[in-house]
Amino acid sequence: MEPKNILLEMKEYIVEMGAETINWCMQCGLCTNLCPWRLVPGQTSEEFNIRYMQRLGQMGIEGFEDENMLFACSTCGMCQNNCPRGVKIIDNVRAMRASIVGGGMPPAGLRPILGSCHANGNPWSGPRENRTKWQEGLDIPKFGPDTEYFLFVCCHSCYDPRSMKIARSIAQLLLRGGVSFGVIGVEENCCGESMRKVGDEELFQKLAAANMELFNANGVKKIITTSPHCLWSFKNDYAQLGAEWEVLHYTEVLSRLVAEGKIAPSTKSGKKVSFHDPCYLGRHSGIYDAPRGLLESIPGTEVKELGRTRELSLCCAGGGGRIWAEVPMGERFGELRVLDAVATGAEVLATSCPYCVNMLTDACTSLGKQDVLEIRELSELLVDSL
Amino acid sequence: MEKKIGVYICSGCGIGESIDPEALSAVAGEHSAAVCRTDPFLCGAESLARIKADIESEGVNSIVIAACSPRVMTDVFDFPPDKVLERVNLREQVAWCQPAGEEDTLMMAEDALRMGLVRLKESQPPEPFIAEDFSKKILVVGGGLTGMTAALEAARAGYETILVEKEEKLGGYVKDVYRLPPCDPPYENLRDFNLEDLTAKLSSEPGVKVYTGAMVASVSGAPCMFDVEIRQNGATSSERVGAIVLATGSVPYDASKLTSLSYGTSPDIITARDLEVMFKGGDVKRPSNGQPVGSVAFVLCAGSRDPEHLPYCSSACCVESLKQARYFKEANPETPVYIFYKDIRSTGNYELLYKQLQKDGVIFVRGGVTGIDDDGSGALVITSDDVLTGSPIMSESVDLVVLATGMVPTSALGEPFKVQAPQEGAPAPVASDAILVSNLLNLKYRQGPELPGLEYGFPDSHFICFPYESRRTGIYPAGTVRAPMDYQQDGTHAMGAALKAIQCVEMVSAGKAVHPRAGDQSYPEFFMQRCTQCKRCTEECPFGAINEDEKANPLPNPTRCRRCGVCMGACPERIISFKNYSVGMIGNMIKTINVPDEYDEKPRLLVLACENDAYPALDMAGISGLSYNPWVRIIPVRCLGSVNLVWIADALSKGIDGIFLLGCRHGNDYQCHFIKGSELANTRMTKIQETLDRLALESDRVKMEQVAITDFNLIPKILDDFAEKVNSLGPNPYKGF
Repeated sequence: MEPKNILLEMKEYIVEMGAETINWCMQCGLCTNLCPWRLVPGQTSEEFNIRYMQRLGQMGIEGFEDENMLFACSTCGMCQNNCPRGVKIIDNVRAMRASIVGGGMPPAGLRPILGSCHANGNPWSGPRENRTKWQEGLDIPKFGPDTEYFLFVCCHSCYDPRSMKIARSIAQLLLRGGVSFGVIGVEENCCGESMRKVGDEELFQKLAAANMELFNANGVKKIITTSPHCLWSFKNDYAQLGAEWEVLHYTEVLSRLVAEGKIAPSTKSGKKVSFHDPCYLGRHSGIYDAPRGLLESIPGTEVKELGRTRELSLCCAGGGGRIWAEVPMGERFGELRVLDAVATGAEVLATSCPYCVNMLTDACTSLGKQDVLEIRELSELLVDSL
Repeated sequence: MEKKIGVYICSGCGIGESIDPEALSAVAGEHSAAVCRTDPFLCGAESLARIKADIESEGVNSIVIAACSPRVMTDVFDFPPDKVLERVNLREQVAWCQPAGEEDTLMMAEDALRMGLVRLKESQPPEPFIAEDFSKKILVVGGGLTGMTAALEAARAGYETILVEKEEKLGGYVKDVYRLPPCDPPYENLRDFNLEDLTAKLSSEPGVKVYTGAMVASVSGAPCMFDVEIRQNGATSSERVGAIVLATGSVPYDASKLTSLSYGTSPDIITARDLEVMFKGGDVKRPSNGQPVGSVAFVLCAGSRDPEHLPYCSSACCVESLKQARYFKEANPETPVYIFYKDIRSTGNYELLYKQLQKDGVIFVRGGVTGIDDDGSGALVITSDDVLTGSPIMSESVDLVVLATGMVPTSALGEPFKVQAPQEGAPAPVASDAILVSNLLNLKYRQGPELPGLEYGFPDSHFICFPYESRRTGIYPAGTVRAPMDYQQDGTHAMGAALKAIQCVEMVSAGKAVHPRAGDQSYPEFFMQRCTQCKRCTEECPFGAINEDEKANPLPNPTRCRRCGVCMGACPERIISFKNYSVGMIGNMIKTINVPDEYDEKPRLLVLACENDAYPALDMAGISGLSYNPWVRIIPVRCLGSVNLVWIADALSKGIDGIFLLGCRHGNDYQCHFIKGSELANTRMTKIQETLDRLALESDRVKMEQVAITDFNLIPKILDDFAEKVNSLGPNPYKGF
């Protein structure tokens, strides 16, 4: 076999792009074994080995740019949370992607997504003026100088018809709870969390700069996000850029309202419900109890904990840009998650992330389980119960 | 000594329920015991007071304690040294391993008591060997880090110390060492080392006398009476010392043999030692052109863990290379540094240094280096397998390649003292010790002038079982001459060896044996009138304790002796005895065993059990409630090497059906406390088996088995299997003659 060349310049480039801890990796391989890709069969599972990918990165050896390897990670954080050396594996993945995407070589499947973000400020090819379409029929306040919270609705819930229901139910609950909130509207841009994760650092910087300017110009101090991805990005990516907002996920706000009696779910559901912890809400942000408290506040709900739960939650496969990936049936993590829920005897699988809802719904349909299991966003269950 | 015997039989701990003490009293009577008492609680204060009263008022001077194992209650059954004590093991080796109340159980107890009484009768209180001109001084050979530390520690403990260093300046290897690996939290930063501090401490220590530019020309004598000739500047000084610490260190492996790593093809391929000297001198540059070193690659295990070169791990080079890599990273974090390794062995807190170097961005490549080549411009590229990507890789060009060569102990240099020619067709002899003429101690020992090497020329003595020991009493190797080790271990080992040396001079000057029979005051005495100058004792002593005169008469050195009795086992004339252990004594113990005739169908099996591992294993079988064959009669021996072949003849002519030797593991990973005893016994047994076959006596009647102390659970099966084998041969035809 021809020896592969070590390229220190490449390695340094990757480090500069953000893989600051790649040298810390001692190649123990715990990451590879904890990776959800080990739970499914198929080509990606066989080709994607996060330990190996980091090894190539450590030495700047070519081969990591292979699309099946480089773009497989869903950034679920299972490996990173358990790494004995504290390696920021997701940053390494992001930086290695950036070293390719930054050179103008994103994978073909991602080009329209990135292009739409550039053109429309959202990845869903939706016209900018339609960003507030989800509000139709609701009297959603505009964010003003006296408004306490800025409600940032994830692009997914602005444009995807199924996902719009999530934004609507969250807004309804906030209205019912008497929260002072408002939206800014069509000038808002995608938070850019997924764009950064797929390695388009330039695009992320552009989106973030626009958002920061917009939010700050409007006097935003506190933000409620509908999606854990936006939550994480504002709290981490944006904080690095100097943002100083207080950022909350809607479940945190609602659980306070329930505790204060401002929202009182009353209609009995009588359903068996399991809760799926979204990676970016749970492992990444440490929020586990707020959504569970909300679920339990619905009278007559029988909560069935899934087998792998909280810190051990299984990724839906929607993070890290994977929401746009085409994955053959039988290789989707969401399918395993649906089966987890079916195994507990749940009738409803609830979650609190638009990506998770999207991925789990697809999985439920592809498995033909839609008659036995309903995929719902937590806020929808709460609205039903009011 | 006129013996007045007191026999004390305990019936506590279940002995009374198992054996009728009255029946045992009858045995005591047969052997004309002056006093015989049974007691339900012999180790109680009242009972002990009664024994004491018997000693004082009845004149009892020889005491048999028939109770628990001699391995326990040694502090309780402790009598003045002029009294002879014999412990008969009724508890662990009869009551606890045999069914209670059975006739066979009682017979076993009776035989145990008979044998104990015979041993008692034939024992004399030992008279310690003490000479007038014993010295307690400690000689340290080698003035490097280890030797200086050992000398300092010994002197601080109050012992006069003599330090001999061959070079003009003290320091040895560390003279050229720039900095040391970390030894304090956070274990990431290198530490400075000041040799002058250590030298100053040593010179301000009044108990230390230093000879530099000197060497040990000869060492004669024995512990506490070593006479050392020290040659310095053509003059010779004499010193008498008690014990010796050998700290002559090691040398780097000869890099010119590392042609597979291209050593010699470029001046920029250097050894770790060369690099250390460069840093120490503050002049780090490429040897080829004098330019600064912009990038560097370290190749670990250069000649170590390699069957072509040094088969062993040199232990310190991983951390040394990490340290040297840190030199470069500290000077300029951007310097590309590669480390090619087999395994990084950075144990303990050194792991944190390794981690720091990983964080520093050193490229670690695990796998074998396959080539170091000129890239065409005078720089070097390294190709290697990389197990972590599963493919060969090639480095970028580097300015310098550093080979981490291993350590060769100074004891491994020199020609063999004696070459052993294998004899065609003869059974493999017990290998005599590998002693090289390495000019370190120049011992005037019959077996050779230096410490015997164990493996790879290191003068070790099975470190796990016998830490800090060598195979020469009173001489303790420390530091890298003993085993590959790093600076920190050197310090620990220096202290360990100094303490062993102190222990030695204290024990020996009180007439006592050192490890493993620590405190034993007996020693072998030679009845020279009957010596046939056969040289077996001088050849076979595992510790080289016996010298020879020009007529091949043995010249014993009692303070070199470890009291194993290997000489006693070797002697065909049976002229070597201890006051309390002799060929005749064990022979008479065998003869006192009651052997029922063949119609009783009660065969007898003699078990000669090494007291170090086999005997405790037998005890532990009893303690664990395992029961074993009732035909066995156990005699503890100091070492299987002390078993004289005449005992086999004694046993067979007495009508005993089988003889079983239980001893320690021998071979490379020996556990024999006297190194070669069990191996020698094994060789002797193969010889006696030939004789038995010739006499038409089944050789299967004599068997040797290796047991470790942890094998106690196998004891019942081992004994039963042997009993079954012997049974299948039928009764000993000599029974009844």
